[in-house]
Amino acid sequence: MPKTKFPAVISTFLLCFAFWLLLTWSFALQELIAGAAVSLAVALFSARFFIHEKAFWFFNPAKLFSGLFYWLCIFPVELIKANLDMAGRCFGGCKKVNPGIVKVPVELKSEYGQAALANSITLTPGTITMETTEEDGQTYYYIHWIDVTAPSGKEAGDAIKGTLEKGLRRVWQ
Amino acid sequence: MAVRIISDILIAIGAIFALAGTIGILKMPDTYSRMQASTCVATLGVLGVTLGALLYAVFVMGSAAIAIKVAVIGLLILVTNPIGSHMLAKGAYKAGIRPEKKMDVDDLGRDFDE
Repeated sequence: MPKTKFPAVISTFLLCFAFWLLLTWSFALQELIAGAAVSLAVALFSARFFIHEKAFWFFNPAKLFSGLFYWLCIFPVELIKANLDMAGRCFGGCKKVNPGIVKVPVELKSEYGQAALANSITLTPGTITMETTEEDGQTYYYIHWIDVTAPSGKEAGDAIKGTLEKGLRRVWQ
Repeated sequence: MAVRIISDILIAIGAIFALAGTIGILKMPDTYSRMQASTCVATLGVLGVTLGALLYAVFVMGSAAIAIKVAVIGLLILVTNPIGSHMLAKGAYKAGIRPEKKMDVDDLGRDFDE
C-alpha cells in the first residue's frame, strides 16, 4: 500500500473543503471549523488512494483552463451528437444496431488521463469501456460499441474517441 | 417569464431523452445494448432536467443554495454514472452473459476466454 504524502493530503483537503462549502453554502465560523475538521480527517485517510501523481497539477492555470475547455466545450458537443444518434436509434425501433467489442490503442500516458478518457467514452451513449490492458507499454481499451463501423485498432479508435483524446492530451500530456 | 419558458423547454428536452432511453432499455436486443440505451437517460436526460431546474432556481426562486445543490446533483450523477456502467458491463461479461445473436467483433472474448 502506498504511503500518505503531505502534498497529496493538502490537495485532497482543499477539494473536500471546497465541496463542503458548496454543499452547506454558509460561512459561519462554526460551520467552517467543522468542515475543516471533517475534510482533514477524510484527506488523511483517502489521500493515498486519491492522488498518485503530482499533487498540484490542477492548480496550474494553463492545465486548469484546458481542462475547463474540454469539459465545457469539447465533451458536451460529442455528448449531444452521440445522444441524438442514440435517441434516433431508440425511436426508430431499435433495429439498426450492430453491437460488438473492439480493441483500441490509447495514446495517453498519465493515469488520470486514461481514467478521464475511459469515463468520457462510457458517458457517451453508444460506447462503454469494458476492460483495459497493457501490452508492451501500450495501453488498450476493450470498448463495447453499439454500431461497429470500423475494424479494431487505430481506425475504430479514431471513430470512437478521436476528438476526446485530442482534447484530453492538452490537459494530461 | 422568458427564463421560465427556457427552463420548461430544457426540462421537456430532458424528458424526451429519458423517454428515448427507456424505449431503448425495453426494446434493445441484448444486455449490453440495453445498457448503452440507459446512458441516454443518465446524460442528456439528467442534464436537461438539472439545467432547467438550475435556471428556475436562480432566476425564478432567486435562491443560491438550491441552485448549488441542483448543480452538485447533476455533477455527481455525471461523475459516478460511468463507473457504475463500466463495472456492470464488465461484471456481466465475466459472469458469462453473451448476446443471443453472436457479435460480429468480440475482441474481449477472443483475448480472455481461452
